Amino acid sequence: MPRWGMVIDLDRCTGCGACEIACKSENNIPSTPHDQAVMGRAISWMKVLAEVEGEWPDCRVRFAPRPCMHCDNPPCVKVCPVAATYINPEGLVGQIYARCIGCRYCANACPYTVKYFNWYAPQWEESERAHLNPDVSVRPKGVIEKCTFCHHRLQLARETAAAEGRELRESDYQPACAEVCPSGAIIFGDLDNPLHRVFAARHDPRATRLMEDLGTEPKVYYLARA
Amino acid sequence: MNDPASARLSALPADARTILAPLVETGWRFRLWAGLLGLVTLWGAVAYYLQLRYGLGRTGLNQPEYWGIYIIDFVFFIGISHAGTLISAILRVSQAEWRRPITRSAEFITVLVLGFGAIQPIIDLGRPDRLFNVLFHAQLRSPLLWDVMSIGLYLTASTVYLYLPMLPDLALIRDSGIKAPRLYRILAAGYRDTPQQRHRLQRVIGVLAIVVIPIAVSVHTIIGWIFAMTLRPMWHSTIFGPYFVMGAIYSGIAAILIAMVLLRRFYNLGDYFRPVHFDYMGRLLLLFSLLWLYFTFAEYLTAFYGAEPAEMRTFWAKVSGPFAVPFWAMVISCFVIPVALMSRRATRTPAGTMAAGVSVVIGMWLERFNIVVPTSVNPRFELESLGHYMPSWVELSIMAGTLSGFALLYMAATKFFPIISIWEVREGREVGLREVAERIEGYLPAQAGAESQ
Amino acid sequence: MRLDRREFLASVGGGCAGMMLATGCAPSGSGQPDPGWAPGVEVLQNSSCLICPARCGIRARVVDGRLVRIAGNPLHPLSRGGLCPRGPAAVQMLYHPERLRAPRVRATARAGAWRDITADAALELVARRLAELRSAGRPERVAALCGYCSGSMEALWRQFMLAYGSPNLVSDGYDDGTAAIATVMHAIPRNPSYDFDRARLVLSFGAPLFEAWWAPTQAFAALRPTRDSVGRPRFIQVDTRFSRTAAWSDEWIAVRPRTHAVLALGIAYVLIREELVDSDFLARHVDGYEDWTDAGGTRHEGYRAAVLRHYRTEEVSQITGVPVERIVATAKTFADSAPALVVCGSDVTYSPDGLLAGMAVHSLNVLVGSINRPGGVLYRDDPPLAPLATPQLDATARAGMAHRPLAAAAPLGAATARSLAEALVAGDAPPVDVLFLYYANPLASPDAETWAAALDRIPLVVSFTPFPDETSGLADLIVPDLLAQERWQDAPAPASHPYLTWGLTQPLVEPLAHTMDTANFLLALARRLGGSVARSLPYPDFRELLKARARGLFEARRGMPFGDAFETQHQAQMEERGWWLPGTSDFESFWRELVERGGWVDPFHDHTNPAGLSRAPNGRVQLLPARLSELLRQSGSRLAPYLFPVGARQPPGEFPLWLNVYRVSTLASGTLGLTRWLAERPTPLLDTHDEPWIEVNPATARALGLGDGDRARVISPRGQYAAAVRLSPGTAPDVVCAPYGPPHRDARAANPLQLMDRTTDPLTGLASWCTTFVRLEPA
Ligand SMILES: Nc1nc2c(c(=O)[nH]1)N[C@H]1C(S)=C(S)[C@@H](COP(=O)(O)OP(=O)(O)OC[C@H]3O[C@@H](n4cnc5c(=O)[nH]c(N)nc54)[C@H](O)[C@@H]3O)O[C@H]1N2
Ligand SMILES: Nc1nc2c(c(=O)[nH]1)N[C@H]1C(S)=C(S)[C@@H](COP(=O)(O)OP(=O)(O)OC[C@H]3O[C@@H](n4cnc5c(=O)[nH]c(N)nc54)[C@H](O)[C@@H]3O)O[C@H]1N2
Ligand code: SF4
Ligand code: SF4
Ligand code: SF4
Ligand code: SF4
Ligand code: SF4
Ligand SMILES: [Mo]
Repeated sequence: MPRWGMVIDLDRCTGCGACEIACKSENNIPSTPHDQAVMGRAISWMKVLAEVEGEWPDCRVRFAPRPCMHCDNPPCVKVCPVAATYINPEGLVGQIYARCIGCRYCANACPYTVKYFNWYAPQWEESERAHLNPDVSVRPKGVIEKCTFCHHRLQLARETAAAEGRELRESDYQPACAEVCPSGAIIFGDLDNPLHRVFAARHDPRATRLMEDLGTEPKVYYLARA
Repeated sequence: MNDPASARLSALPADARTILAPLVETGWRFRLWAGLLGLVTLWGAVAYYLQLRYGLGRTGLNQPEYWGIYIIDFVFFIGISHAGTLISAILRVSQAEWRRPITRSAEFITVLVLGFGAIQPIIDLGRPDRLFNVLFHAQLRSPLLWDVMSIGLYLTASTVYLYLPMLPDLALIRDSGIKAPRLYRILAAGYRDTPQQRHRLQRVIGVLAIVVIPIAVSVHTIIGWIFAMTLRPMWHSTIFGPYFVMGAIYSGIAAILIAMVLLRRFYNLGDYFRPVHFDYMGRLLLLFSLLWLYFTFAEYLTAFYGAEPAEMRTFWAKVSGPFAVPFWAMVISCFVIPVALMSRRATRTPAGTMAAGVSVVIGMWLERFNIVVPTSVNPRFELESLGHYMPSWVELSIMAGTLSGFALLYMAATKFFPIISIWEVREGREVGLREVAERIEGYLPAQAGAESQ
Repeated sequence: MRLDRREFLASVGGGCAGMMLATGCAPSGSGQPDPGWAPGVEVLQNSSCLICPARCGIRARVVDGRLVRIAGNPLHPLSRGGLCPRGPAAVQMLYHPERLRAPRVRATARAGAWRDITADAALELVARRLAELRSAGRPERVAALCGYCSGSMEALWRQFMLAYGSPNLVSDGYDDGTAAIATVMHAIPRNPSYDFDRARLVLSFGAPLFEAWWAPTQAFAALRPTRDSVGRPRFIQVDTRFSRTAAWSDEWIAVRPRTHAVLALGIAYVLIREELVDSDFLARHVDGYEDWTDAGGTRHEGYRAAVLRHYRTEEVSQITGVPVERIVATAKTFADSAPALVVCGSDVTYSPDGLLAGMAVHSLNVLVGSINRPGGVLYRDDPPLAPLATPQLDATARAGMAHRPLAAAAPLGAATARSLAEALVAGDAPPVDVLFLYYANPLASPDAETWAAALDRIPLVVSFTPFPDETSGLADLIVPDLLAQERWQDAPAPASHPYLTWGLTQPLVEPLAHTMDTANFLLALARRLGGSVARSLPYPDFRELLKARARGLFEARRGMPFGDAFETQHQAQMEERGWWLPGTSDFESFWRELVERGGWVDPFHDHTNPAGLSRAPNGRVQLLPARLSELLRQSGSRLAPYLFPVGARQPPGEFPLWLNVYRVSTLASGTLGLTRWLAERPTPLLDTHDEPWIEVNPATARALGLGDGDRARVISPRGQYAAAVRLSPGTAPDVVCAPYGPPHRDARAANPLQLMDRTTDPLTGLASWCTTFVRLEPA
């Protein structure tokens, strides 16, 4: 059974933000009207966080692209009263939008703050309505959403591989953010498969996970800046 | 005042006459207040309609400030609800005789405020239309589900616990015929106050009083756990269960005090709510304000001493950061004011306890605020930007509507039910005096003369 | 591989609601699929992004005729499957509600109401006017201003204007001044290429490598792990501003404004002193390093002596604000990390002495011999496309072309939009009757006022903008271009990329506007004008023109259609050994492969070709070019190469802060702000949405009583600009950084560029960006 995971190399991530936009495009995330965005209600399943350290003339920035960590021991799943957020056997943590009651308990429980709430029904501008991805359902108002590791692509990839009568290859299933990253900072694959690049990458001495001490066992690794 | 109801009322014995007067007579002040509160409640309902129609976006909530006023009010109201049932049960079980005039008004607070508390998380839901998913897809691992169960149980138990001891009084009303005979015939459920019935009733009440205590404790413990089971800084704390229960009782006592003062004033119940009641309740309040300090200190010291960076961000946000005002206001109103007032007999008067009670109620609301909001806006992940929270008018209106709705229902209850237990007070006079004398005798060494043999 | 494979999509992920929305149904609260929904037809097609000069390869996903997503084309040699955030966001441009759906003309006079017309009517209108001017013998009274316009589109404009007979074509795209440097120092009039992939150190002087540079994706791609190498070059950024490039680079060297060149020469000083220069290279290939005596017997001081005389490290440190140890360490790292290269950015060249400053920066490449070497700075040619049909000039055209162009070019630069505007407002009568604006929105430039006055005088202003912009408000006729997703175009990689690359842009969806793309408009116009103009452009449509030019590639006996990493590597190795095998036997299948794979590349650069080093008659690099001395003498300038006034420049008292305008890469170029995703989150460095801002040092802001988020006015002698203050610890205390790009809510035209004084570098004609001083006031 594969265990899908991601390694983000902070030595290569320049904070360009392409992953954010690619994810929004792939996963039908509408833009947020200005008044809502300034309230902190913008949705970005992938968010490039930045922290400025120091002061002129000696400054540094730490960039950290943050998707859902797809924790092996996800605190968000435990607290959901209706099992609308779940972990599947391959370790993907998903959301059932049609079941979620919108209590936002999971959002509070997630130590990585990756859950986004639909405070209103998504407001599709005409320009955004036209390019919706038919593979991904749009969310109604009042439910929680978050990065899914683009698992609709896994289903497509499985079908394609099955139709071609072969095994699933690493390149068959790549999420949109990993695909677009211009500096190749995002590596995605089966963490337990030595043939996948993530396998070696996660054993790199630079590899860490966020807040490992919490025991959430995230499946997103970060390679620290050299 | 020549209508038949008044005539029948004046035919009753003095105690019943005083206590049942509000059921029959309604003054203009009552109507005025009821009208005002009704308007505010309606306003709150309109606000909720807007939220329902357009979404939770109408609140000031955001990411990561996922929970706000509704959850604060939820914890607060459920806390207040510990007033009646729990306190009355404890007093009953410990046979505190002075409880007799107090329990009924306290139990009413419980049942009503519990209802209003229980709807808060529903108001807070993004999809209230899917509320029943909690049953269809129940996931027993979730503290939220434990909460649903314990609140449900508590509401049932405390309703029964309010109703059963009211039977003799309901029968009395039915028999006196002062009001809606058909209604009271149903409510009194055939109770005739035969000695046999009375005996059985007292046994059931005794058992219920014992059963209801753990249920009540569980309710606020679980509410504490809802927070404590997450990994958020200054929520993830083992003390939260008992801390919440203590706080709940504390705010409950304060709420009873306020109710007692108001009832005493508006329904001329000075004979029943006597100085000694305020004195005793004041002492209880004093005890809990000390307990409150102890728990709060323990909670904050642990966080401070552990000095975990994420915890410290929230800690400093409360102690000296953007939440310093609500934090220190909470300390003043939960500790400084009640201790100053309640530690002197001279201020354990109705006026003094009223002041202390109001202070504690406000302080305990602030405590809920200080638990929910500072942690929410200070996410554990340090790269995440800090949140901010300014409740919207919709949230404030719903809060106002809830408070006024509660007051309104409480007022209405006083128009239908005796707010002091007539039979229990009588019983105190008839049986209690003797029992207490006997009990006290039992505490004492036997008299020298009697120690022959 | 045929990429436009058609396959049926399975409905997965509980999805399909997206499709419902896309087809116009109301969103259903429950997310339930529409029972009538049927799986769509999916097409994947390679093309190119035309948003910026990088011209990345894209792979579009089209479902049922709708563009759903833009991803990268992994076969593209520059972008290698990656894109910057603007690439995927372009889907929001295509379907933008503000798009002009049809050509429109003023019903009456300028500023009258618009009336929609057909493309044919627009063509007729323009053709009639042009024909009139031609028959009156005044073809030079037609002018065209093009913004960033490269490849065959530029060739088409040139050919059209030439055959029509007007010398007044100004193509003012992105000029960062590096071509002028190459012209004087190498006698190669082109922008350099940078071999990041093989460099161990990239030392950038203000080049926004990861932002709005020639090709941010090229810089990004240098970070990509490859199969065989895991290393990446180290990036050091010399910058006045804590830019995103500076923020990410391995090291940021903060310099005082306008002192890049002094720092560069300070580094040169250390290199020379410590004998870290490549003396072999200098001796064999470089003139002007040592002192020399000319034919007339005059002794000239060489580069070495000048640097040693003027750039002692302590003084350099004082001027630039960079500590001595830092300068020494940087010099040593630079010398130790061969191959190391220096990139000169427009921060350096956009200044009154920009060319000289740029030469000082580029001289570091010369000192260590990082030219025409792997991992260094390269000079290459253009892809071997077939030229356009031989232009035919009739007498009218010849007479028209004999006129002097209205816009005078600086000696080492091209004509600029600014010089055109100045010529248009000069004189009593307007010098032109018709002005074409292609990809040009000069009303958003620092010269907005001049341009407004110029447009006011011209009887017919034709804009090709697909979106209403500032300038089109003053036009008489708009013939909206089709967007890049609806039209054919070529997309040659910018010079910064070391390998000849010719990408193709092709229609991905049916046009959404009832209009004509500008290329086909010009071809049709030529046909209507007939005669020699038509014979000069004998192409039925732009696709045929591109195809005709691709024949040059087919016959060049080099290069290949885009291939994967392995194929490309293989081809490079073959060519290195002097082999070339044709992949396809006939042109038609060659063309088909180009279209399918997205373009053509020659993955081999010949480092042994001396034309990559210098094209001066003696084949040597000129550190002290005679041509430059001549030009300086002619212009009476007191400037001299490698001599910069010593002593830090102080801002004048009334305006105590430097204005540091910069481009927000996600919003650069007029219309990107229309994409909601980008406007919502223009940069990850700040939490800002849809709102212009300025960056101020916290202490400076505090002194002015300004807090984060407060509104403030930036006031220069020329005007004022209002924006929200953002506290920025990375900004120097005496600087205000004002990004341009974020659309203004109140007035779209409000733009910090309009605060700038209008100084230029007289040698290149480039505007100065770093000479304006301002003060800040709470608004
Ligand atoms: N706000 C703002 N102002 C700026 C700048 C900025 O980044 N932001 N940059 C400044 C600089 S450095 C320069 S060089 C100038 C550049 O200014 P211009 O050369 O004028 O370039 P843009 O404004 O990018 O684009 C000009 C116009 O091209 C149109 N356009 C977009 N797509 C197409 C297309 O597919 N076909 C055609 N025919 N037209 C298209 C748009 O309507 C846009 O208004 O602007 C300057 N002013
Ligand atoms: N996507 C996209 N990319 C583009 C373009 C586009 O339209 N779209 N256009 C291209 C074009 S036309 C251009 S002109 C380029 C512009 O691209 P850039 O060269 O990146 O332009 P800016 O960022 O505006 O450059 C201004 C730089 O000058 C520095 N600066 C400003 N004031 C001062 C000062 O007083 N002193 C010093 N020393 N430095 C100062 C700022 O810090 C800033 O880094 O982008 C090109 N790239
Ligand atoms: S696309 Fe890649 S480089 Fe850009 S922000 Fe995302 S992870 Fe970083
Ligand atoms: S990162 Fe958060 S949302 Fe994702 S699995 Fe872990 S706890 Fe759940
Ligand atoms: S918000 Fe939805 S997914 Fe999250 S805990 Fe509540 S019901 Fe579950
Ligand atoms: S894995 Fe997919 S859903 Fe998750 S951040 Fe990347 S693109 Fe978005
Ligand atoms: S770098 Fe330029 S060409 Fe490449 S995707 Fe971004 S905007 Fe398009
Ligand atoms: Mo430019």
